[in-house]
Amino acid sequence: MDVPPISPLIFYRDARAALDFLERAFGFETRMVVDDGQGGVIHSESVFEGHVVMVSGPPPAPKYASPLDLGGRRTGSIHVQLKDGIDALCERARAAGATIEREPADQPYGDRVFTCFDPEGHAWSFGQEVEALSAEEMAAATGRKIATSLDAH
Amino acid sequence: MPSPFTPVVFYRDPLAALKWLERTFGFETSMLVTDDEGRVGHAEMSFGDGRVGIGAEWGAEELIGPAHMRSPASLDGQGTQFIRVSLESGIDEHCARAEAAGARITQRPADQFYGARVYRALDLEGHVWNFDQDIAEIPIAEMEKASGLTIKTSL
Repeated sequence: MDVPPISPLIFYRDARAALDFLERAFGFETRMVVDDGQGGVIHSESVFEGHVVMVSGPPPAPKYASPLDLGGRRTGSIHVQLKDGIDALCERARAAGATIEREPADQPYGDRVFTCFDPEGHAWSFGQEVEALSAEEMAAATGRKIATSLDAH
Repeated sequence: MPSPFTPVVFYRDPLAALKWLERTFGFETSMLVTDDEGRVGHAEMSFGDGRVGIGAEWGAEELIGPAHMRSPASLDGQGTQFIRVSLESGIDEHCARAEAAGARITQRPADQFYGARVYRALDLEGHVWNFDQDIAEIPIAEMEKASGLTIKTSL
């Protein structure tokens, strides 16, 4: 089972260019492309560490859109948790045309993180564990309240 | 091996979304980060081995540019991604539970040519959730024949 139990399908104006970007920038590998017969892509699968994100486009109106169609606004983002190599991946992404929003930096909750935008404005965050912290330790380090259920709400 | 991917979705009212997603889809809140005023900074839910992040529309989402994270409720219902949830079993019951709890079912459970049974629902702010369950392993050649589509295995 390599399709994760919860996975995003991401809409692009140019899905083929997006798949190419995901390969060059992030090292994903395209393993399935379903043509719509009109130059677009109904469905595709891009794999990283054996798990899949799906890419489609142009987005069927009126329900779906690329951030390019919405002035850069977006209704979701994608987080990718790395085992290692986060700084090298950031450089690879930058060289491939990603807009780096936050450079790699250690966060008080124990991960090293960078964030970037792909060419159509979808937001990606990449994290790599530096130190495994408990919820209590994260709360102390960040000054936030951290609960592990909705019980108090 | 857990998936490296966690999709994150944004809501005007993330706390209401967490409650709704628990009640309607059976997700569980695994982490809820709030500030001194009780505003949700970030939350994570789990469903089986799957994870999804829940964020607020505006300033509290610190990792990624705050001004551009919007709920479909603020974009005339539009979305830039949808979320696929793969079930091992019980998709019809899952749909019935979701509908009884108030989800708007936009596509009833039905078998698809690619070997999955699928239903789709809108959540309280208009995000699309696509639930599927494998029912058969279909070779690519058969999928192409059944759909008339061209399917390639690389770019």
